Amino acid sequence: MVFDPATMLLFVRFLFAFTIGSHILLVSTSIALAFLISVADFLSIRGHDPTYEALARRLTKVLVISFGVGTASGIVMAVELVGLFPSFMTLVASTGAMVLFYAEISAFFLEVLALVLYVYYWNAFKGRYTHWMVSLLVIAGTLASAVFITMVNAWMNTPAGFDATTFINSGFKTISGVQPYADFLTASGPNQIFHVLATTLLAGSMVLGSYFAYWFIRSRDPGEKAICGRALKILGAIAIITVILSGISGSEQMGNLLVNQPLKYAAIDANLVSGPNLPDRFFGIIVNGSYVGGITVLGMQALLARFETGVTSLPGLNQFPPSQWPPLLVSLTFNVMTVGGLVVGLFLLVYFFAFVTKRRPYESKRLLYLWIPAAVLAMVVYQFGWATDEIGRQPWIVYNVMTVAQAANTSNALLVPGILIVLFYLLVIPVTFYLYARVFQGSKPKEGVAP
Amino acid sequence: MNYAAFSVFAALLISEIMGGVVLLVAWPARAKVFDYAVPVWEVTGTFGAFWVVTGVFAYPGLLVPVASIFAPLLMVFLILWVARSSSIAFAEFITKRGWLDETKLYRAYAISTLLLGLVVLILLSSLVGGQGVSLATDSFSLFSWVTAGNLAFVIGTLLLGVGFAPVFFDLPPLRRLVLPFAAAGIVISVAAYWLMSPTLLTPWMAVPVLLTLAAGLLYLLPATAKIVTNKAIFLVVLAIIIFSLQPLVYPVVIGQALSIDAVTTSGAMADAFVSITAAGGLLLALLLALYMRIAARGPSGPEPP
Repeated sequence: MVFDPATMLLFVRFLFAFTIGSHILLVSTSIALAFLISVADFLSIRGHDPTYEALARRLTKVLVISFGVGTASGIVMAVELVGLFPSFMTLVASTGAMVLFYAEISAFFLEVLALVLYVYYWNAFKGRYTHWMVSLLVIAGTLASAVFITMVNAWMNTPAGFDATTFINSGFKTISGVQPYADFLTASGPNQIFHVLATTLLAGSMVLGSYFAYWFIRSRDPGEKAICGRALKILGAIAIITVILSGISGSEQMGNLLVNQPLKYAAIDANLVSGPNLPDRFFGIIVNGSYVGGITVLGMQALLARFETGVTSLPGLNQFPPSQWPPLLVSLTFNVMTVGGLVVGLFLLVYFFAFVTKRRPYESKRLLYLWIPAAVLAMVVYQFGWATDEIGRQPWIVYNVMTVAQAANTSNALLVPGILIVLFYLLVIPVTFYLYARVFQGSKPKEGVAP
Repeated sequence: MNYAAFSVFAALLISEIMGGVVLLVAWPARAKVFDYAVPVWEVTGTFGAFWVVTGVFAYPGLLVPVASIFAPLLMVFLILWVARSSSIAFAEFITKRGWLDETKLYRAYAISTLLLGLVVLILLSSLVGGQGVSLATDSFSLFSWVTAGNLAFVIGTLLLGVGFAPVFFDLPPLRRLVLPFAAAGIVISVAAYWLMSPTLLTPWMAVPVLLTLAAGLLYLLPATAKIVTNKAIFLVVLAIIIFSLQPLVYPVVIGQALSIDAVTTSGAMADAFVSITAAGGLLLALLLALYMRIAARGPSGPEPP
């Protein structure tokens, strides 16, 4: 059976979306793990607390697995980009976006060597604080990797550093006016980095916390409960801080879209026509040129936009040719992200309130039961956030320069190995998370750790 | 630069393949493989990523043909890569419960690493000789790849891997394998290059041949065995041997059909490539120096002392 290029394009889109969706599950938990281990290690040294030390030591084993599978998956991403979108990668390779990939590899080296030193040479350092500082290098490497790859995505949203007009007019043959370092600071870069870091850490800390909440409820061992309580204390603090930062950076992101990607803004807010005093709409759909169903809050969008950017007249889809519109379901993914984020925020507000009123939320079964669905929702919100970013840029792979269809490899030869990759990920991701738990529980000291 | 990154990556990957051979044929010697492979496999992966990224950076014009021709093979490579990385990461810390245990996972690691090596060899041999590759249709056929030269290339490399595994992991009971396997591996590999294209056999080929023979002989002499069983020295020599094979893919690849210079980056990007490589190299050197300093004190894992 031979599939036409349009079908293969759909498959290529699905394959990459599926792989990157799986990859960010690993990435978000890895970043949160690195933070959790570092904070636990620091608190163990400062307070001479053996429970925090046990937590840090046991989690390093999980981090190695997470990093190992995450690294392999990262390589899958890199090679898939070449195999699935060769024309896009040719543009990347000839412009400053490649410099970002290259810088990411340097961050990768920092991360891997610091991780090996931190995990395998724990007792070889002369002082505990010196060893702990290596965990900061792991965090620095991890965050730098995330920052550089987000810069690449920001460049796709607001391309810079080459002469786009000449490139387009030459039929993608002539790449001129290359400024290799311009892509470090594109128009959407700083806001996007801020938002990605905050939301990644939020999703990762919520997912990790859900495991500790589950294990706290299930375990009868007081030592294990003490370890879970300590982990939830740290993760709760990280989640509360990052949910606030996610809200602030999300608002900044919308302001940035309004200025730099007005079409994407109009699509995610379902603005059929431009104008002032536009309402905010939730969970409806656009059918035959009109908005159907859902909830409408009059004037809210205009109010928020004025607050975020001072702009009073908002863009609408009517200002752009329909051939350039992204799929309009992007407003739904956006609604899931914002409303879901709000629900996660409300849960963390309750958690915070319990914390400041000294009700020990990390030991409250009721809140811990709630943490688990809140974590699932946080990950859904995170995935839908990325989906909104990517769907909202369609049909472009590089905004206003190259479409996904122009960039993609639509060879039928990709079908069988592509399906195998999907099946393989469906096996590897659950097994990885299962083994996180099994390794963490399996490394429990026989006599337990005193709370 | 890209070929240097490849040489280091290939040296590390070959060392893991030799470890895989030991795990499959000499399981009682597994402790020596674990001591080496467990801290190193992540570094291999990082150098793999480094090689891919330097390749994309250095040869932007090569991306479209390579992606079109080798996409299915690259996908298989990716599956094996994740299988290899996840199985060793799981094996390192897993405790026995149910059917899944350390032994099964390490064997899965060994098999996936060997298969990964096979895929890399198929890719390399087709890049060198061009058999199986159709530039007219931008496709790759495994059936057309099966030629005497390519098969000899795979067999020769496999023999060298088996021959040098006892050297790298210092396994005296298997020392009698070293010279026959190494000699056969060299002869068959040289024959493979001749079968692929006689033009590949340049005087430069004497460098890897002599270095490989010397490594085998040094192991057999008690006074010099310690030199080649030093893993750092072995890896450096192996990387040099691989680097000396550069004429196989430069200045032309795919059976002399594609000029490397024609697809190499230039202008401002070439300058950036050099600058960032220097900065990244400095960072890497500093980190490796720190690593060597700490590693000299001996490993001590996350278990309490």
